[in-house]
Amino acid sequence: MERFTELVVAAVLLAGLYATMAYGLGIIYGVLRIVNLNHGGVIMAGAYLGWVMHERLGIDPYLSIPIVMVFSFLLGILVYRVLVRHLPRGAAGGVQSLLLLFGVWLVLRNVAYLLFTGNDQTIRTEYSTRSIVAFGLALSVNRVAVFVIAVLMLIALHLFLTRTFTGKAIRAVAQNADSCTLVGVDVERIYALTFAIGTALAGLAGLLGAMLFSFNPSYGSSDLLKSFVIVVLGGLGSVVGTAAASLILALVEVFAILALPAYLTGAVGFVLLVLVLVIRPGGLFGQRVLG
Amino acid sequence: MDPTTPRIIAAAAFALFAGVAGAPAHAQGGGSQGTIRIGATLPLTGAEARIGGFYKEGYDYAFELQNKKGGVKVGDKTMKVELLLLDDTSTQATAVNLADRLINSEKVNFLLGTYATNLVEAQSAAAEQNQMLYVNGGGAASAIYKRGYKWVFGLLAPVELLAESMMKWIDEQQKAGKLPKPSKIALLWENTSHGKDFRRGVSDFAKKSGGGYDVVVDESFELNGKDFSALLGKVKAANVDMFLADAHLPDYITMHRQYVTSGMCQKVLSYGARGSEKQAAEALGKKNVEYILSAVWWSPLLAHKNKMAGEFVDGFKKKYGHEPEWYQALGYETARALFTAIEQAASLDKDKVRAKLVAMKIPSILPGGELTFPSEFGQQSHAPFVVQQNQPDGSAPIIAPAESATGKGVAPNPNCAK
Amino acid sequence: MKLLPHWVSRSALAALVVALAIGAVLPSLFGWSVYTRNQVTETMLFVAAALAWNWMGGYLGQVSFGHSAMFGIGGFISARLLLAVHVPFWSAWIVGGVVAALYALLWGHPTLRLRGPYFSIATIGVGEATRLVMTYWEDLTGGSSGLSLRIVPGLKSELYYWGLALLALVIGASYALRKSTFGLGLLAIKSDVDAAGDVGISPTLMQDVVLLLSGFTVGLTGAFYASYQSYIEPGDMFGFDRSISFVLMAVIGGVGTIIGPALGAVIFVILRQYLIASYPQLYLGIYGVLLIVVILFEPLGMVGLAYRIARRLHLLRPDTEAKLEMKAAVGGAAASPEVREGGGG
Repeated sequence: MERFTELVVAAVLLAGLYATMAYGLGIIYGVLRIVNLNHGGVIMAGAYLGWVMHERLGIDPYLSIPIVMVFSFLLGILVYRVLVRHLPRGAAGGVQSLLLLFGVWLVLRNVAYLLFTGNDQTIRTEYSTRSIVAFGLALSVNRVAVFVIAVLMLIALHLFLTRTFTGKAIRAVAQNADSCTLVGVDVERIYALTFAIGTALAGLAGLLGAMLFSFNPSYGSSDLLKSFVIVVLGGLGSVVGTAAASLILALVEVFAILALPAYLTGAVGFVLLVLVLVIRPGGLFGQRVLG
Repeated sequence: MDPTTPRIIAAAAFALFAGVAGAPAHAQGGGSQGTIRIGATLPLTGAEARIGGFYKEGYDYAFELQNKKGGVKVGDKTMKVELLLLDDTSTQATAVNLADRLINSEKVNFLLGTYATNLVEAQSAAAEQNQMLYVNGGGAASAIYKRGYKWVFGLLAPVELLAESMMKWIDEQQKAGKLPKPSKIALLWENTSHGKDFRRGVSDFAKKSGGGYDVVVDESFELNGKDFSALLGKVKAANVDMFLADAHLPDYITMHRQYVTSGMCQKVLSYGARGSEKQAAEALGKKNVEYILSAVWWSPLLAHKNKMAGEFVDGFKKKYGHEPEWYQALGYETARALFTAIEQAASLDKDKVRAKLVAMKIPSILPGGELTFPSEFGQQSHAPFVVQQNQPDGSAPIIAPAESATGKGVAPNPNCAK
Repeated sequence: MKLLPHWVSRSALAALVVALAIGAVLPSLFGWSVYTRNQVTETMLFVAAALAWNWMGGYLGQVSFGHSAMFGIGGFISARLLLAVHVPFWSAWIVGGVVAALYALLWGHPTLRLRGPYFSIATIGVGEATRLVMTYWEDLTGGSSGLSLRIVPGLKSELYYWGLALLALVIGASYALRKSTFGLGLLAIKSDVDAAGDVGISPTLMQDVVLLLSGFTVGLTGAFYASYQSYIEPGDMFGFDRSISFVLMAVIGGVGTIIGPALGAVIFVILRQYLIASYPQLYLGIYGVLLIVVILFEPLGMVGLAYRIARRLHLLRPDTEAKLEMKAAVGGAAASPEVREGGGG
C-alpha cells in the first residue's frame, strides 16, 4: 500500500509541472492555431537562464521565477513580431508554422550550445537534497515546491482568462477572430500577447524542471511531446482539462514501471501520443473552446 | 514545364560538389620527410567535450615529451612525431568520416583512437576496412574487440573487469563477515555498451559465487534520463543490501540526488566508474557522497607505489598545473605505447609495428605496472582496475588491489544506521 | 513506337542516362581519392533518402519527423540477415526495405488520417518510440552495442556504383511519381482531399502506396548505409537528428519539387565538409536559419531560388512561367487553397 501511495504522490507532484508545460503549448494552439515546435527550445532557455542567474549572480532559482517569466515573455513577443506574424493563419499555416518554429528551436539549441557547451548542468542549492515527510513518505522539497508553484500559476491563469478583459478577449479570439475585429478587439495584439504568454509559461516550466532534473541544450524535446499528449487529451485552454490530462499522463508514466522494464517506460509517453492522436483525431482541437 | 532545367541544375550541383570534394584530396599527401604523422580524432565539442579535452591533454603531453627526447628512433634515424588531431564533435558519423579523411586523404602513418565506446566502435571499423593501425585508449566495451579485427588495439580494460574488481573487494568483506550472506543486489545500468558490460560483470560474478549474491533488481535506464524516482522507488521497495549502478557523470549526479532525497541508504553503494569526482561532491554535498565505491582504470594515487606513474604525475602537473585523472593518463599511455612499438619495430611498416604491439609487454603507469594486448581478448588490455572509496575526510584512497592500495575500505556503510 | 508512357519526357530520360554515364566515369576522370569517392557515395545515399522522404513530405504534403524509424529498421534487418546467412548484400537490402515499408504502413496508415501538423507530431512520437524499443530489443539490434558486419575488402569502391544505380532509380521514381497519372492524383489529394475523393480518387489507397514506396526506399538506404559503414547502432540509426536531417535536406532544397531534395542533400554535405574543420558546432544553427529563411521567403527552397534567378535572367519560356505559378500554388509546403482565399481562423 505504501508503494501505491508513493507512486500516486509522485505522479501528482509531476503532474503540476506537466500542466504548466502543456498549458503554454495549448494556449498558443488554441488562439493562433499554431503548433509551437519551439516549445522545447524555450523550456531549455528557461532552464539555462535560471541556472546562469544562480551560478553567476547567486540568485536563488525560486526568486528568479519572475525574471525568467518576463524574459521568456519578451522572447515570445520577439519571435512573434519578427517571424510568426508573417505566417498565414488557419489550417494552411499548419505545416509552415511547424517548420518555422522548428528552425527557431534549432537556432536556440545552437546558441545554448555555444554559450554553455553541451555538458549537462544542474542547479544545486543547499536544499536540493532535503526532503520533508508527508503521507508517511519522504518527499523532495523541490518537488513539492514546484508543484505548489505550478498550481498557483494555473489558478492565476484561470482567473486571468475568466475575470479580466484581456483574458476574455483572448478567449473570444480563440472562438472567432473575425467577429472580434468587428467589436473592436485588436486581434494582432491579442495574438502577440497569447504567444508571449505561452512562451512565458514554457520558460517557467523549464526553470521548474531545472530544479528537479539535469539539462543540456537538447533538453525539452520529450517535454514537447508530453505537452502535446496533454493538450490533445485535455482539450485546449481548459485549465481543468489540462490538469486532468496532466495527471493521467503522469500516472501512466509512473505506474508503467510496475508493468514494463524501466528503460521502456520512456516510450510510454510517445506511444500514448500516437494512440491519442489516432483515436481522437484532429477534430478535437477545433471544437473545444477556452473556458 | 521545361524538364531539362532542373536536370541542368542537378548536374551542375553534382559537378560542383565533385570538384569541391575533390579539392582537399590533392592538398596534403606525403608530409615533410622526417616526421611520423599520427592522426586522431577526439570529441572536442559536443556531449563528450569535457573528457575529449582531457584526452587531448594526455596526447599533447605524450607527443611533447617524446619530441623533447628528439623524437622516435626508427632504426638509426630519429623522427619527430606529429599529431593531426580533428574534432569529431562526439558524433559517430563525423568520427568515421574524419577517420576516412585521415587515412585516405591526409595519408597518416598511424591512428590513435577517439573517446567514447560508440565512436571507437564505429571508427575502428573504418580503420580495419582500410587496414590502418588503430591504437586507442577510449573504448572499453569488449564488443569492440570481439569482432576479430587485426588492426585494433585497446588500452582500456573491459568494463566487466571493472565490475569484477569491485565485486572481488566486496566478496572479501562478505567473507570477513561484514556483509550479509546472501546479499541482495540492485543492479541499475545505463543502456549503453558500457552499462551492459558492467551488468554482465556483476551478474556473472553473482552467478559464480554460489549463492553469495542475489540480483533482485536488474534494470536499465536511458543515458541522460532525468527522472529516476520511479526506478529508485522500485529499488527501495526491494529492500536490497547493495546498490550497484553504472552511469555517466550527469546521470550519477541526478540519480544520487534523488537517491539521497528519498532517504535511501544501502550497505554498499557504487556508481561504477563514478564516485570520486570533485564535481559530484560539489553538486551533491560532501556528506552525501561518503563511502561511495568506484573503480577506475587509473588514479594519480598509483604514484605512491608505481614509480613510472609518479614521474608521469609530476611531469604532467608541472605542465598543466593540475593533477591528471584517468583520461589524461590513458591518452598519454596510448600514445606512448604506439611510440614504443614503432621503436621496437625500428620501422614505419605497419605489419612490423603491428607485430610488436601484438607481442608487447612493457612497464606501464597502468595498475599492475604492465601493458599487454592479449590476443585471447581481441587485443584489449586487461590491466586491473583500482577500486576507490570516498572517505569522510574528502579523500578517495585506493582500497584494491592490494599492491596499489593506499588505504582501507569500509563496509557496511556506517552512515546507514539501520 | 510506344515504349514509354506518354508522360515521360524524352529529354528528361536522356539527361538521366547521360548523368548516369558521367557519374560512372567521374572517379577515374577526376582522379578522385578514395576519400572523395566515399564522400560522394555517402552523398548519393543521402540524396536517395531525401528524395524518398519528399514523396511523403512534398508530394503528399505530410511532413514526417520520424523517418529514421524506417532507415533504422532497413539497416538492422539487412545487417541481421547478412550476419546470419550468406546472401548477396543487395538482396538483404531489399528485404530490409520491404520490412521497413511494412512498418511504415503499420503506423502510417492510421496516422495519415490526421492532417498537417498533427500527423507531424505523431511522427515524432513514432520515431522516438521506435528508437527506444529498438535499443531495448537486443536480439534484433544488438542493443546499444549495435551490430558489426564482416569487413569485405573492396566493398566500398563497389558501393559507389551501387549508389549510382540506386540514385538513378530513385530519381526515376521521383520523376514518375510526379509526372504520371498517379502523380496527378497525388497533387489532387494534396490540394483538397475531399474533392479528390469526390472525383473518384481513392486517397487512402494512394497514400498507402506512397507510404510503402517511401518506407521501402528509406529502408533500403538504411541497409546500404549498414553495408557501407560495417557497423551500425540504434542511437545513430534511429536518432531524432537523423529524422531531422531528412526534413532539412528536403525543405531547404525544395520540398515538393522533383530534384529539390537532391540539391538540399548536396548542400547539407558540403556545409558539413566545410563546417567540420572550422565551426563544427554551428551547423544546427545554420540549418535552423536556412529553414526559417526558406519558410518565410522561398517555400520552394533552393529550387525556387534557382527558378527566380532563371526568371530574372529571362532563361525561362513564358508557358513555363505559367506552369511554375501553378506549381508554386500546389507544390510548395507554403501554399494551399485556404491561403489564396485569404486566411482567417
